[in-house]
Amino acid sequence: MTATSAPFLTLLLPPLVAALLALVLPPRRLLSGAVHAALALLSLGAALGLVHLVLDGGTPTWGPTDLFRVDALSALLAVCVAFVTTLSALLGPGPGREQHYTPAQIRRFRVFASLFAFTMLVAVTANNVGVMWIAIEATTIVSAVIVPLTVSKASVEASWKYILIGSVGIALAFVGTVLGYFDFVTLVGQRESALNWTVLLANARVLHPPVIELAFVFILIGYGTKAGLAPMHTWLPDAHSEAPSALSAMMSGVLLAVALYAIIRWKAVVASVVGPVFPNRLLVGLGLLSLAIAALSLVIQRQYKRLLAYSSIEHTGLMCMGLALGPLGVFASMLHLVNHTVAKSMMFFLSGRILDRYGTPEIGSVCGLLRVMPWTGGLFAAGMLALLGLPPFGMFLSEFTLLRAGFADGQGGLMAVVLVFLAVAFVSLLGHLNRMLYGAAPAEVRLGEGSRWAVLPLAGCAAALVVLGVAVPAPMTALLHRIVEIAGR
Amino acid sequence: MSPWLLGPVQAAVALMLAPGLVGAIRWMKARLQSRQGSPPWQPYLELRKLFAKEVVVSSNASWLFRAAPFIVFGSTVTVTLLVPLLTVPLPLGGAGDLLVVVYLLLLGTFFLALAGLDPGSPFGGMGASREMTVAALAEPTVALAIFALAWGAGSTNLGQIASRTLITPSEALAPGHVLAFAAIFLVTLAETGRLPVDNPSTHLELTMIHEAMVLEYSGRYLALIEWAAALKLLVFFSLLGNLFAPWGVASAITPGALLWAVLALALKLLALGGVIALVETHIAKLRLFRVPELLSASFILALLAVTASFLVR
Amino acid sequence: MSPEIVSQLSVGGSTLVLLGGLMMLWRRGVAAHIGAFTFQSVALAATMAMVGWFAGDWQLWAVAVLLLLVKGIGIPLLLKRMGRRFGSERELEPYVNTATSLLIGGLLVLLAYIVTAPLVSVSRLPTRTGMPLAIGLVFVSLFIIISRKKALTQVLGFLMLENGIALLAVLGTHGIPIIVEIGVFLDVALGFIVMQVFVYQIHETFESIDVEQLNRLRE
Repeated sequence: MTATSAPFLTLLLPPLVAALLALVLPPRRLLSGAVHAALALLSLGAALGLVHLVLDGGTPTWGPTDLFRVDALSALLAVCVAFVTTLSALLGPGPGREQHYTPAQIRRFRVFASLFAFTMLVAVTANNVGVMWIAIEATTIVSAVIVPLTVSKASVEASWKYILIGSVGIALAFVGTVLGYFDFVTLVGQRESALNWTVLLANARVLHPPVIELAFVFILIGYGTKAGLAPMHTWLPDAHSEAPSALSAMMSGVLLAVALYAIIRWKAVVASVVGPVFPNRLLVGLGLLSLAIAALSLVIQRQYKRLLAYSSIEHTGLMCMGLALGPLGVFASMLHLVNHTVAKSMMFFLSGRILDRYGTPEIGSVCGLLRVMPWTGGLFAAGMLALLGLPPFGMFLSEFTLLRAGFADGQGGLMAVVLVFLAVAFVSLLGHLNRMLYGAAPAEVRLGEGSRWAVLPLAGCAAALVVLGVAVPAPMTALLHRIVEIAGR
Repeated sequence: MSPWLLGPVQAAVALMLAPGLVGAIRWMKARLQSRQGSPPWQPYLELRKLFAKEVVVSSNASWLFRAAPFIVFGSTVTVTLLVPLLTVPLPLGGAGDLLVVVYLLLLGTFFLALAGLDPGSPFGGMGASREMTVAALAEPTVALAIFALAWGAGSTNLGQIASRTLITPSEALAPGHVLAFAAIFLVTLAETGRLPVDNPSTHLELTMIHEAMVLEYSGRYLALIEWAAALKLLVFFSLLGNLFAPWGVASAITPGALLWAVLALALKLLALGGVIALVETHIAKLRLFRVPELLSASFILALLAVTASFLVR
Repeated sequence: MSPEIVSQLSVGGSTLVLLGGLMMLWRRGVAAHIGAFTFQSVALAATMAMVGWFAGDWQLWAVAVLLLLVKGIGIPLLLKRMGRRFGSERELEPYVNTATSLLIGGLLVLLAYIVTAPLVSVSRLPTRTGMPLAIGLVFVSLFIIISRKKALTQVLGFLMLENGIALLAVLGTHGIPIIVEIGVFLDVALGFIVMQVFVYQIHETFESIDVEQLNRLRE
């Protein structure tokens, strides 16, 4: 391993190795769980190492024709992916945990979740637009396999919608990619490295605006489907609520972020060709629509996992809008991305614990959470308050910065509308939370926390949210500043 | 030979060949179905028989009933003057316009439908309504398909369309041409009452479309209508043949060239007749509510033909 | 081969590919649908081979052969097996009836012409004349996926969508870099396999592959 390949191999190989080992090792043993977790931690360490390299001023590359390249944006997302993968390895299906999965199910989950992590990492570190597309399409396929981990009518329906709508969306994104490549080839000629981000950006001034505009529409619809932007979001509440909690955490927490990453990369290219107005208008439109539909749907939700799924749509919409509000907006959007990853994954793991204890996904049947599981209930409340955007949690800071960016960009009216929808979401989420936390616990539910040590990582997440809300660490700020430079105007 | 004589010659050739075409198709179908079949000249004998027979007219029928066969026959014969059967340019020169041809044929269909309604017989009314449905759906396709050809040739004059393919032979394989051919072929099946739209040899009244309209006719009226139907088939076939593969058509009006043209026409008619016989042997009749699906498909083919010839200019 | 002939042939090939898609709207029955897909894949492979000959690019030939093997032979075999399992079901009336579907298909092709006008005017390749038809196939495939009620037909619609994109890439750029091409192939093949497994699962859980039954998850 040379110096250039070491960080990449340590980042990408562990999930692949974990998938292979999970095929072989007996799933019931604690040892295999420990190996799984250790490999995930190795990946996380490599990701942090890459952040360090990037902050030092480099953009490490690797592979023929610079196939892999990590800059600030890639590094941030790699850390997010590795972080949620580690959590899922620690808290996902396995022996000795409260969920009861058969060994075959545990094995299947470990194999495909590791492959899922691998494909996401490839997607964010690939320099080649085509390779990124292949990786994102692969994420749909491997994650769809484990959505119906427990086969039921609801989960089969959810997984079918997921794979069909997801694959169709990604195919449309490929149309956009081909159109972009087509324009490049028409002007510059065929080149092996023609699909690299760096090459596209360098030649951006030469490309034809009408073709690139058409390409961006396809790309936005395509990757927007994966990111959960309305009106292509219909698969999201079903898939994220029917999947096992660890998978939902990975999908809601980072997969949406990876899809957004693709949109950010293309937006940078498109903005260099046609100027910022066209992409910004589209992003604001889709973001606002997502926010509106999500906020209004939150009111009528009756299941807490679907509630969290719609909340993901709401926050993705906010992030999308933030990208269109100038440099400060991009900063806010990226900060929001990190906060959302931490908060949403924590919430899904907690909802998994609630589901195991209460045995029902309905909000109405879950009462007295604070009395039944004090720690889980407390963390759930903290997470929900974080998602609402209350201080001292990080989301408050990122949402506030986003609104400030909006007003600074001259979009006061738009921000007022956003505030209205945020208020609607606020009231509905708070109402649902109250219904779950207080009241008398149902008779058949066992009291007590259960496995205490599983709560520790989640408590760590909540602490991280507080830290991000009170004082964003300096390396994070530096990283975000670099991202603003990359993502453009 | 004077060009004015050409018109009647062309019409005469068409009148002579038409019953033979119908007979040939019937014979080929019979052979394909392992039957002996009647000889190919049977329709001539049938026409002779019909002209000799007595005419019986329903007491409810009006003047329309007696006039319709002549109108149908007359309009179809006029059409034979306007299509590129034997020569290019056409005997009536500029009058050989596509739209005139389409609407003359439609005139015949219209009067036949009225004649089906006239005696007040239920089968006649049923046949008339079915025929009008099919005609209404097939008409836009014909226009659109020949429009696709006209775009390439720069005019809706049929003679000019045919001569353009003579000038640039590679045009014959152009996608617009091929699609238009497919579209007009499907319309031919519909307009001339062939399977899978209508079974020309059925004897069950409830399955008839064209036959039901002429159920009340007898004697010389029936002979005229049958001859007109055969002429219509010949006209469509010659359109298919001479617009898409115009080789053999005479460009100079000399007896040698004309003879050659008649021979080429006969060959094309037989070839297309063979194709129709094959199609009819292999396909079952469509139920009536499925016919719009077939005609929509031909409409789409015509639409694609227009867009294809629009692009590859 | 002169550019004019290549232009004609690419329009001809693309029209055949598009006709495969329109046949899905016209014919009913699983066997007819699988036949339409096979026809389309073969036409696509032929077009690719033609462009490969014109451009002198052996990689396109390799991709054409791969396409023929996978989508012309392999996938239809798997589909026929599925068809035998599920094809004997009651003939389901789609959401939009056949005649209207065909008309909408025609309108979508016209829309594709309008949308791709900038593309055709920008390109200088002789194969650019078929690009609107490729985008037309993309739109028609989307319509097939939305308006059909059988899960198997939706899978076929997705495969046709991928065919349309491959056609667009071949006509617009004479092929995309080989790594990406192979990767796309693997993705589609894997996606199809997973979808196939899901259709079997749907059949087991719901006793039919009618996607109207997939309506338990609301709001």
